[in-house]
Amino acid sequence: MNREEKLIHARMSRRGFMGTTASATLAALAGSEPQLLRGSTPAPNATADSIIVIWMAGGMAQTETWDPKRYTPFEPGVRTDQVLSTFPAINTAVDNIKISQGLERVAKVMDRATLIRTFQAADLGFILHSRHQYHWHTGYIPPQPMAVPHLGAVVTKILGPRNDTVPPFVAIGQNLEIGAESAALKSFHTAGFLGTEYGPFLIADPADASAAVRPPAELGDARFHSRRKLYEQLLKDEPVYQYGGDFQRQSLLRSMDAADRLLTSPSAKAFDLSLEPKKSFDVYNNGRFGQACLLARRLVEAGARYIEVTTEYIPFRYWDSHESGHERAEMMKRQIDAPVAQLILDLEERGLLNRTLVVLASEFGRDAITEGKVGKEVKDQAKTPDVMTLPKHYGMHRHFTAAGSVVMFGGGTKRGFLYGKTADERPCTTIENPVPVEDLHASIYRALGIPPDYSFVFEKRPVYVTKDAKGKAIQDLFT
Amino acid sequence: MLARLFAVFCLFIGSSAAQNSTALVDYDSQVRPIFAAKCFSCHSQEKRSGGLSLFAYEDVLNGGRTGGTVRPGKSADSLLMMRVSGETQPRMPLIGTPLTDSEIGLVRSWIDQGARRTPSSPPAKGKWEAPLTLEKPSVPGILWPAWSSPLDRFTSAYLKANGIAEPELVSDRVFARRVYLDVWGLLPSPKELHEFLKDRSPQKREKLVAKLLADPKNYAENWISYWNDLLRNDEGVNYHNETASRKSISNWLLTALENNLPYDQFVYKLLNPAAPTDPAGFLIGVNWRGVVSASQTPAMQAAQNTAQIFLGINLKCNSCHDSFISKWKLKDAYSLAGYFSTEEKLQLFRCDVAQDQYASPAFLYPVLNRTPPSGSVPDRRSTAAAIFTDPRNGRLSRTIVNRMWQRLFGRGIVENPDEMDGEPFSPELLDWLASDFVESRYDMKHLLATILSSRTYQMASVASQSESPKQYVFRGPEVRRVTAEEFADAIGALTGEWHVYQEPPPEPEAKKPDPANPVKPGDPPKPEQDPPFVPPKPGVYSREWRVASTSLTRALGRPIRDQVYSVRDNQPTTLQALELVNGEPLTHWLTRGSKKILGELPPEPTPVFDRPSPKKALAPFAIDISHANKIWLLVADTGSYSPEKVEAIWASAELVGKDKVTPLSSLKPLDESGLRSSTNPIVVKGANGIGVRVKTPSRLVYDISGKGYITLRGLVGFENLDAGSDINPNLRFFVFLTEPNVERLTPVLPEMPVAADKVEKSPAKIVDRLFWYTLDRAPTPEEKQTALAVLADADRKKRASADGLADLLWAILMKPEFQLIY
Repeated sequence: MNREEKLIHARMSRRGFMGTTASATLAALAGSEPQLLRGSTPAPNATADSIIVIWMAGGMAQTETWDPKRYTPFEPGVRTDQVLSTFPAINTAVDNIKISQGLERVAKVMDRATLIRTFQAADLGFILHSRHQYHWHTGYIPPQPMAVPHLGAVVTKILGPRNDTVPPFVAIGQNLEIGAESAALKSFHTAGFLGTEYGPFLIADPADASAAVRPPAELGDARFHSRRKLYEQLLKDEPVYQYGGDFQRQSLLRSMDAADRLLTSPSAKAFDLSLEPKKSFDVYNNGRFGQACLLARRLVEAGARYIEVTTEYIPFRYWDSHESGHERAEMMKRQIDAPVAQLILDLEERGLLNRTLVVLASEFGRDAITEGKVGKEVKDQAKTPDVMTLPKHYGMHRHFTAAGSVVMFGGGTKRGFLYGKTADERPCTTIENPVPVEDLHASIYRALGIPPDYSFVFEKRPVYVTKDAKGKAIQDLFT
Repeated sequence: MLARLFAVFCLFIGSSAAQNSTALVDYDSQVRPIFAAKCFSCHSQEKRSGGLSLFAYEDVLNGGRTGGTVRPGKSADSLLMMRVSGETQPRMPLIGTPLTDSEIGLVRSWIDQGARRTPSSPPAKGKWEAPLTLEKPSVPGILWPAWSSPLDRFTSAYLKANGIAEPELVSDRVFARRVYLDVWGLLPSPKELHEFLKDRSPQKREKLVAKLLADPKNYAENWISYWNDLLRNDEGVNYHNETASRKSISNWLLTALENNLPYDQFVYKLLNPAAPTDPAGFLIGVNWRGVVSASQTPAMQAAQNTAQIFLGINLKCNSCHDSFISKWKLKDAYSLAGYFSTEEKLQLFRCDVAQDQYASPAFLYPVLNRTPPSGSVPDRRSTAAAIFTDPRNGRLSRTIVNRMWQRLFGRGIVENPDEMDGEPFSPELLDWLASDFVESRYDMKHLLATILSSRTYQMASVASQSESPKQYVFRGPEVRRVTAEEFADAIGALTGEWHVYQEPPPEPEAKKPDPANPVKPGDPPKPEQDPPFVPPKPGVYSREWRVASTSLTRALGRPIRDQVYSVRDNQPTTLQALELVNGEPLTHWLTRGSKKILGELPPEPTPVFDRPSPKKALAPFAIDISHANKIWLLVADTGSYSPEKVEAIWASAELVGKDKVTPLSSLKPLDESGLRSSTNPIVVKGANGIGVRVKTPSRLVYDISGKGYITLRGLVGFENLDAGSDINPNLRFFVFLTEPNVERLTPVLPEMPVAADKVEKSPAKIVDRLFWYTLDRAPTPEEKQTALAVLADADRKKRASADGLADLLWAILMKPEFQLIY
């Protein structure tokens, strides 16, 4: 080697290479990665190793699902303010819990559930779905002076991956590129200041999930492998002199190995829904969301840490009914009923339910009249006549932040338990045991063994996993 | 600077042992016991009142939240003395008996003697305190003959003082790659590189730097990404705030960079955007719909961002409360915000609770403060702009100099570019560069030329160091990684396959609100008529900065610009590697790119009709098809929420011959899969009931050879014109007379950001070019053999296989040798 090359070699190997885990980065060794700080609260014992969030994006009408009130059938001329629920209630496997018609299969597994009826979204003024979704997913209200991480990134960062063959944080069902609020969605689907190592592995369509871990169609398996071999051959052919113990080079090579490992490991088969026995597949196969639930189960089995499955947010679609709410709610319940019930049964059958926390939630609830909360009403976003004359008037079309439902299964939560009480007459506000975002998060963290005042240091200040460390886990939800 | 003044005091101490009049005060036995007795209860390492511990010697020198407590050699200027004497209130200690006169005298002596660790230690170096004003340091003498520029003289003095011998400089090829990327964000082409290597003229490196800086377009299109990160500028990202919607400053920024706008004027315009073409978006900030925390109003964002970007000060903590980690108070943030707010007097909110305290505009450093001539918004803004660019404000120039150094060397002279109170590894170097920058009238290219032409910049690169700032020693530029944009633009330059930038259609003129028919908030806008049709402009081949971020570029570090980004996270991660190894965007790009190199991309004909769908009515078309044998009718989806619900139609579609008119619906297309059911007549205003119903997207091909048709005419649009907001139809209709390329339906102007190379077919030449372009060297015999084997096409001897070329491209792009900048 010539003098310059010798010099480069000498400089590079001076630092040496310390063996580190697959996900180590230069920043970690340089000490500039956000540091973890233990809070003053002792860490609770974890009752869950993984979490599946079933995200009912768009504002799920709670009186049409988990918190049914007096039923009023549609008739032209019925007064809007008299309609609380557009479906009758049905019994469940739990004596004192009734839920809405259309959820018959989930009703049978409510004896494994903890049902919270009193989730309260924050008062953020003129309601923007994605802003509340951001709040729900990060615990912080935007705009923020730092890029705050998604709940999944926080969990992954603190607990680490369960193994190195499955992405620890997977988000299924949301296409980030469409809709007027796509930029807002992207803004919280991120690991933020924790670094991209902890970001979500995105799968917009679960039917395509196996494509996410197989070579692109235009490449094909054969070329995928041969070009990897080519890459390794070129590395061998390289003039040896330049890159001795170069840390950054090693970092890059390691990340390629980690990706390769993920793509070629047997665990990648978890993404292939066609490998599911047909009888089981058919129960889930009522649409994209159903398939996503199946994928979530397979990923938990394969070792993922945080999986989010969503019915997807597109303004005015799915749960976000600004008209024809009844019809829409019927459709949505049909979409979720069988897959959610089956997911719980499957997890239980495989002995996974006890250590897998399942959280079904939405950014807020719905009401026919109130937009926001009573006393903190905000700009109306749905034209609501005083008297319903057409079927499209029939339903819950406004965004209600005073109460919403969260259903939790497994992961140490009580079985067949009801938490929180809402009023039986309009406005069906929370009257007992409100659960704000930070307390819901604190409870989720509690299940995972993380205290609510755990923090990262970023720009020399602590960033707590619940805002200002004020979240309080609701012990009552746990056995 | 080692302070060598100390006074010898003869102290008459009551209860302590008498001192020899020439002995130095002993910290351990004389000073520390005083601290222990009177200060530790609050200033322990655990409690740290005011951020200060007096427990250990290092703690004493480190000081507290407001900075250094002890200025070695200068007791009169030391906060510790001012507190214990009561000169600064509240007097310390807060609780318990004050220090006696003799104790105070002892501490004073100790400080004046240099606050030494032990009597035999040298005088201490106080905690670094960043100066405000700028004084040009004198330049050291020449140490090494080649290191004669002022910058190099500072560096050589520094290196020598740290026991480092005169460094070797990097080779021409390493230098060329670095400087092309740093100035243009582009790799040197083989031709450019060979020219440079062959050049034997003296000062060829300086000449290359000058040549690169002189190109306004390539320079601007590189540096705009850096400034977009810093100024939170992005296109098409909007969080629906009703009164302060995010506004792009891209046009202004690009022009400013192209014209090398002097930095002080640059900052002035950002802080005081008075003219219509000025960058108003910077002060508007990033706002979501709904109510906002008092700490994140546009004015408070402006205070935080201007302080961070231009002064290297973090006001984020003290936007909610007095800072726990620095001297800044809540009032400081509000006072600065007062220059940018709509109201002149701002009420303070502490953790979103209103306080009975108000702030008028005032600057962080009283010596630079100016009161606005009036309370008007223009006057307050122009005052802020004048303060920031005040020649006495050394922080402005130091901060930008440090940012440029960080960008080019990997690590700043001050480690954290956002915390300019940190200690520079060479204060003199920083101050000289800043002074020189100011003298050049804030000429950014002059600053860059000064750095890029120096021997310092030409030192061999080193791995980044992990020592804390106290132990950091500058040993040369750090090894860096190409940015997302550099990676992407490399592919564009190598293959000629660039992204296409489509200028968005002009915003339709806002309709005046009608009081009889108020628009309810949340209603999607429903104009009664489509705005007048403006034909879309052709696309333009563009560098990466101009197009929206993709999963690939986000994975490679392009940030979501909701916050200020001074330094990107460029570290390799598994998700990033997944995108590189398995991502569809990169795979497809290289597939096309390799075909482009070989001249094997299918032709991309121009449509004879190209129209985005109108939304409130149908739009007419009439096309000459007299020379066509086939016609292609395409409908593309351009962003409908529910494409499957859009009822696209070619209404009243007719083929007109010399003496006949044939409805299009009576012909059978070659492929019927694009059709929707056609049982009922089309009922839309303006249509004559006939037409073809199609899906979105769809492609209909009709064979019309020999039929003698002259014109194809009709109306395009969709049937369900009253479609609900959940469908949001967005379509584009095309008619082609030759086989269209679905990947490139809309026309693109031929110019490219980097002039395309001619098509190359010879495998050997392709391999050489690739290696020279990506790695600045010839392939070794082994590499050449491996590469040629991959390119060998089984069917066509002497011609390269497109698949093989795509694979070779990929493998090279994955090499650390490519991705790292040595």
